[in-house]
Amino acid sequence: MKQTEDPRIKVSRRVFLLAWVFFSLYLAAVLAASYLLGIRPRLWGLPQWVTIGNILLPAVFVILLIIVVEKLIPDVSLTDDKPERREPE
Amino acid sequence: MNAATISFLVYTGILAAIGVWSFRIVEKVPINKYEQEFYAAGRGLGGVVVALVIAGGLASAGTFIAGPGMTYAYGYSWVMINNFQIFMNLLLLAPIGILVGIVARRVNAVTYLDLFKARYQSKTVIILLAVLVTFFLIPYMATQFVGAARVISQMTGMGYLVSLAFGALVVLVYCVLGGMRGTSLATLLQGVVITVGCIMLFIGTVHSAGGFQRSTEVLAAQDASFLSPTKSGEFPPAFAFSVACMTGFFIVGMPHAMLGALTYKNTKALKRGIWMGGILVFLWTLLLCLSGVVGRSIIPNLAVPDEIAPWLAMNVMPKALAGIVLAGIVAGIQTTVAAMAIIITSSIAKNVLQELRPDVSPTTIKAASRWTMAACLALAMGLAVFQPKLIQWIIFFSIGGLEAATFGPILLGFNWKRGNRYGALAAIACGMVVYALANTVCPWLKLWGTHPSLVAVIAAVIAFIGASLVSRPPSENVVQTFWGQKIS
Repeated sequence: MKQTEDPRIKVSRRVFLLAWVFFSLYLAAVLAASYLLGIRPRLWGLPQWVTIGNILLPAVFVILLIIVVEKLIPDVSLTDDKPERREPE
Repeated sequence: MNAATISFLVYTGILAAIGVWSFRIVEKVPINKYEQEFYAAGRGLGGVVVALVIAGGLASAGTFIAGPGMTYAYGYSWVMINNFQIFMNLLLLAPIGILVGIVARRVNAVTYLDLFKARYQSKTVIILLAVLVTFFLIPYMATQFVGAARVISQMTGMGYLVSLAFGALVVLVYCVLGGMRGTSLATLLQGVVITVGCIMLFIGTVHSAGGFQRSTEVLAAQDASFLSPTKSGEFPPAFAFSVACMTGFFIVGMPHAMLGALTYKNTKALKRGIWMGGILVFLWTLLLCLSGVVGRSIIPNLAVPDEIAPWLAMNVMPKALAGIVLAGIVAGIQTTVAAMAIIITSSIAKNVLQELRPDVSPTTIKAASRWTMAACLALAMGLAVFQPKLIQWIIFFSIGGLEAATFGPILLGFNWKRGNRYGALAAIACGMVVYALANTVCPWLKLWGTHPSLVAVIAAVIAFIGASLVSRPPSENVVQTFWGQKIS
């Protein structure tokens, strides 16, 4: 018997993919900055790789996260009663 | 009694009051709705509380005590390694949050094992997971008590054992009496105290060290490897990557983090829980880890590195503020213990009991919940008597073990229709065997210096896929419940 997939499942999968892509980019950026910038140059009195890779980059990604989550994750109903209704706050 | 102790006692008194207050709320709930109230707080938590329940639950003594302890012991390399946990709320709520939210309402699941029961319909999977989760969470919980006791001992001057009993007692009160309702209310207060405490500790430490420039010069003079991202090769990139997987991609396998996914009210709360969690964990992790490494330039010869955060609070800050900072650290630990206590209790007192005695009455479950919670907290306290020097390694061991057992069955099970109970059993067995081997007789399994959890989780995922593909697919009923459109 062919079953109809709940359209909210597609949203769920897209959100899953979004999260893993986001974290992969963060991971790549932090690793690259940390291992490539070197310990000698200083920024704000700290080794440059610490300031850029571990203070600035995480801060930028946290701000990006707010935008990504609020803009790209749609509101869906969690109950089966009225799937088309938007959840009240 | 010093000012630090007084401010800490005030905080503890408020927590105890929350416990008693939530007990009254839970007691008023009809017995047929008791489970949903005690374990899922009526499934009505908003974004801020969800953010705090997950972030506070996952950011444990590993963040608040061991985080600064590791950066104190190994320098800036561990600031980077700890920073990989910043997006834990995202990586837990995004991959399964929406699905769990829908399915939990369909099958009236109030515990994470209720979801496994609906997905795999296997008594063996339920009992096996309950045993493994208890096995790994009890020592994890014990490390939390160790961390809390160290803080209280430093602050009050009381002995370790008295501090241990004091720190644990208040958690016992609000968890056992108030369940998830008490935990969520306490978490709200604790979140504020943790954040304020972290900010104050960071400012006090950097000020006392004479600024970053001065602290970096002192560290370079002590040992230049403190400034290296690999601690001069001690923690290679492969190790950092494996820890990033463990505290990032695989975090969805942490059962006590699932509480947030089971209790959020709607997708607005889910989204707020994700980004607020990101902000909070970023602040907690970064400020404490930087305080730890900068603290080394103030005092380079602490015998127990994990004591750096409480030492700094007591020595670089005014005493009354130190009490708030230390209350924040203890609060961070207590939120984790509370989340773990809820998970273990729900596994044993609800799911295992119901599997073994399907006709068990709600009144019996209610009594069993409280007694189980008290017993597991007491057991963890007993283990905490044997205090290790660096608790981070025990925490990583527990996290790795939990993820090796549960990552495949949770992530693949909830996102892949073809996955079935045989896949789940194979994943649990394979993950556990590989993890045990890598930690004992086959250290070569820690490929390129990675943490053993990496190879164990990969093996478990392969086993899940392989065993699922060669056995019968799950029933139409399961597929309909998890992915189908509800026909009313």
